Amino acid sequence: MRNVGIIGVGYTPVFVSKRKDVNLAEMVSESVEAVFRNTGLSPDDIDAITFGNMQTFEGVNLPHLLMSEHIRAVDKPIIRIATGGTTGMSTLQAAYYYVASGIYDVVLAVSWEKQSEGDSQVGLAGIVMPEAMVMVQHGMDLLGGRGMGGMGGGSTGAAAYQAMSYLHHSGADPEHIDKMAALERSNAALNPYAHLRKKTTVEDVQATPFISWPLRYGHTCPTSDGATACIVASEEKAAKLADKVAWIIGVGCCTSDPSTANFIEGQMTDPADQTVCKIAAKKAYEMAGIEDPAKEIDLAELYDGFAHQSLMWLEKLGLCKEGEAHKLLDRGVLNIDGDLPTNPSGGVFSTNAIGSSAMNRATECALQIMRKIEGEHQVPKTVKKALAHGWGGLFQYVTVMILSDTPRKI
Amino acid sequence: MKAGERIVAHAVVPLDFTYNYRVGQYIERYIKALGEKKIMAVKCQDCGRVFVPPRKICGTCNRILDEWVEVGPEGTIEIFTIGHVKLNKGLVEKIDKPSIIAMVKLDGASSLLPCVINGLDPEKVKKGLRVKAVFKEPPEDSLFDLDHFEPVG
Amino acid sequence: MERKVAVVGYAMTRQASDIGVPRPIMLFELVKGLFDQMGITRDDIDTFVLCSNDFQCGRTISNVFEDTPVGAYMKDETKVEADGVMAVMYGAIRIMSGLYDTALVVGNSLGGSEFRPYLIMDYQLHPAYDRQLGILNEPVTAALQAKAYMEKYKITEDHLNKIAARLLRNAAKNPFALRGKEDATPEYIASSEYLYEPLRELHCYPFTDGACAVVLASDKRAKALTDKPVWIKGFGDSIEGYFLGDRDLSWSRSAKVAADRAYRMAGISNPAKEIDVAEISIKFASQEPIICEALGLFPEGSGAEVADRGLAEIGGEMPVCPSGGGLGAYPFSAMGLIRVAECAKQINGEAGDIQVKDVKTAVAHGQDGFCAQHNAVMVLSSEEG
Repeated sequence: MRNVGIIGVGYTPVFVSKRKDVNLAEMVSESVEAVFRNTGLSPDDIDAITFGNMQTFEGVNLPHLLMSEHIRAVDKPIIRIATGGTTGMSTLQAAYYYVASGIYDVVLAVSWEKQSEGDSQVGLAGIVMPEAMVMVQHGMDLLGGRGMGGMGGGSTGAAAYQAMSYLHHSGADPEHIDKMAALERSNAALNPYAHLRKKTTVEDVQATPFISWPLRYGHTCPTSDGATACIVASEEKAAKLADKVAWIIGVGCCTSDPSTANFIEGQMTDPADQTVCKIAAKKAYEMAGIEDPAKEIDLAELYDGFAHQSLMWLEKLGLCKEGEAHKLLDRGVLNIDGDLPTNPSGGVFSTNAIGSSAMNRATECALQIMRKIEGEHQVPKTVKKALAHGWGGLFQYVTVMILSDTPRKI
Repeated sequence: MKAGERIVAHAVVPLDFTYNYRVGQYIERYIKALGEKKIMAVKCQDCGRVFVPPRKICGTCNRILDEWVEVGPEGTIEIFTIGHVKLNKGLVEKIDKPSIIAMVKLDGASSLLPCVINGLDPEKVKKGLRVKAVFKEPPEDSLFDLDHFEPVG
Repeated sequence: MERKVAVVGYAMTRQASDIGVPRPIMLFELVKGLFDQMGITRDDIDTFVLCSNDFQCGRTISNVFEDTPVGAYMKDETKVEADGVMAVMYGAIRIMSGLYDTALVVGNSLGGSEFRPYLIMDYQLHPAYDRQLGILNEPVTAALQAKAYMEKYKITEDHLNKIAARLLRNAAKNPFALRGKEDATPEYIASSEYLYEPLRELHCYPFTDGACAVVLASDKRAKALTDKPVWIKGFGDSIEGYFLGDRDLSWSRSAKVAADRAYRMAGISNPAKEIDVAEISIKFASQEPIICEALGLFPEGSGAEVADRGLAEIGGEMPVCPSGGGLGAYPFSAMGLIRVAECAKQINGEAGDIQVKDVKTAVAHGQDGFCAQHNAVMVLSSEEG
């Protein structure tokens, strides 16, 4: 096993709801050009490419094929990874394995989504599309009542069950969700690569309508167009190519089964249980040699499609005790200048080009560690170890990555 | 359900979504030129190749392409196939009159353009045959403004 | 240094035009059967690599309902959305990283009964250009590729018919293949209808349901799991540009680059001599000589001679696709995995009627895209070396 680190990150110039001026390939190429610009490297330095998005969102099968030139992949090895919401992190983990194995030294990981070209809610509902269509054919009403009713409004319906369960078990109030939402949106206002960039107060959030109690419109993520490219390298190559490195010292991934949100077969388990997250985190901590994550982790970037999830993940990841996250929020611990800055980027909650969302958690951690954040959301404290988290599937996939300013001792 | 037991019921589920593709900066300019009966290509200043349809990157040279040149409207058939069927949403359907689909090297271009050739007996199509572009009149600002190709003369 | 990885178990379903069981049951029976046959449980598997495709499943995140049937519940799992050889490669790389000792790689596709392969391929076209125009589709691109090769090297349709006939005869002897014909002759192939000249119906892959599972293990664990590990000696993949008009279709640049990578890693300098059997993924008979030549199995432009002299026959100089290959069955995401499993079968002498004599080293190949835009090559061997 070799040490592997992130040596550069490139984003599309903006993450917005509609990039009308470019097509799929042209948009993705902007992130690749940005990472080469930021690192001073060229495609000649790259040994292989890992690539991910959720292809039903754009309706293009294996899109890496048609943009092979745009991502500078010609004559290079390339692998396409797709695991739903976790795609971005799974793609980055693939790059990690590529280098850790000794097969390749420098790997470019690319992830993206251009959600404006398709219908995201169709894309999301498409997870259960075959079942849903059969139910329609049998005369069921998908939008109301039982069964698929939970999927009304796409994933928000399913997330509402989770939020309810979380509030019940943690003792947090619905107002804590409003507060977390306001905190993250205000962080996003400082981040030039965030999509929804408006300084937001708790009252602003509370003025938005409910979609499915306890979730309001102001608790949900946008759909964005954008791409992220990230270069990882072996220790030896990183020493030659980069001035600063964010080392990947722990990776974890775990898969539950779809019953965590499976309204179809009616065998739903508690969507706020997320044992899967605890297992993934444990693996990553063990690999990183972290014994007390609550003490050792300096910053967290969590995959929060909905605002309650940031609080929930903090607990499941062991960054605080169960039922404590909302207390940290009240004490200001989660603020950019707090002890455990959480989603200083604004999170998925503010920027959501789905394929890249989970990768952006890791790239934001990396940039915070390198102190190369563009914008005003650089945290004041020194970040030695940061945790990036991804979430996806029918609530069933969790990926975790621990990044550090120093490599592992091997 | 027991192992080996056969299914008798199937659910037919057409997935017919509408997507809204942006054509991007290069195809946009290509389409606009077609309306003026011009076929525009991009030239790589490193390798000198001229690409049509135009696109942003020369993958071999890692260069953003920004030099536009006009190619055609005449060209030469390099490879062709005679179609005895057509595909309708992935299903093979017989056609009465065979079709000709060819890769045409437009004058001034380095890459070949996939084209439909009309006005020619399929028996007579051969490599090296000269063809010219036929544009739609009046133009409708779409890719279909380059309607088809036909033999020169 | 890099860790060694071996194939220690494999199983495939019968490849059919309608497999007749729902996907989760198909996967469960396949994988549970493999575990039972190997005497292991899912607890022995450290990491799971699935290989399927959202379009083929008609579902966003195709692996959502595949994880539990293959035993990945509460385990490390990921999905490769490409050819099966890529998935095996990624499984091997995960083991080589040192974090895992065993991996299960599972691919499946129901192209026979669930989706239309040519329509799925249409969705690979550039959505704002080629898909709009509707000039290109998969058989058209294959016909143009066939023409480019045949014109350059003076290959006739009769040679294509010979290739297809050989593959169908091989497939008839392979109990897992979907389409075979014991006494297939070039005349029989020529009696099928043209789609796009020079391609006839029997030059094209049949629409296939199927799944395949492969267990990989590190050198540390391999010998405890099987007496006959098949070692992955080398692998490589490569992609070329999308636009067909930029590519020289008479050969495969990306297959050559991929093979060069795999051979370098495996220490193979003369593939035609050192490789005993090849299992390649071809969708159309015309792709066989192009891929074989890129893989260095035959000299450039030798398609006519190979077909005339029967060099690729099971008893020939360089047996290619004793299983019948892509003309026997082509279950998209499972295709490359089946090629790897067939190579392992050959090396272990378990191939029955299609067994090639004295196989030590075999090469598996997989492809994606139009005219094989992305190729992956893997070298397998009985020798740990």
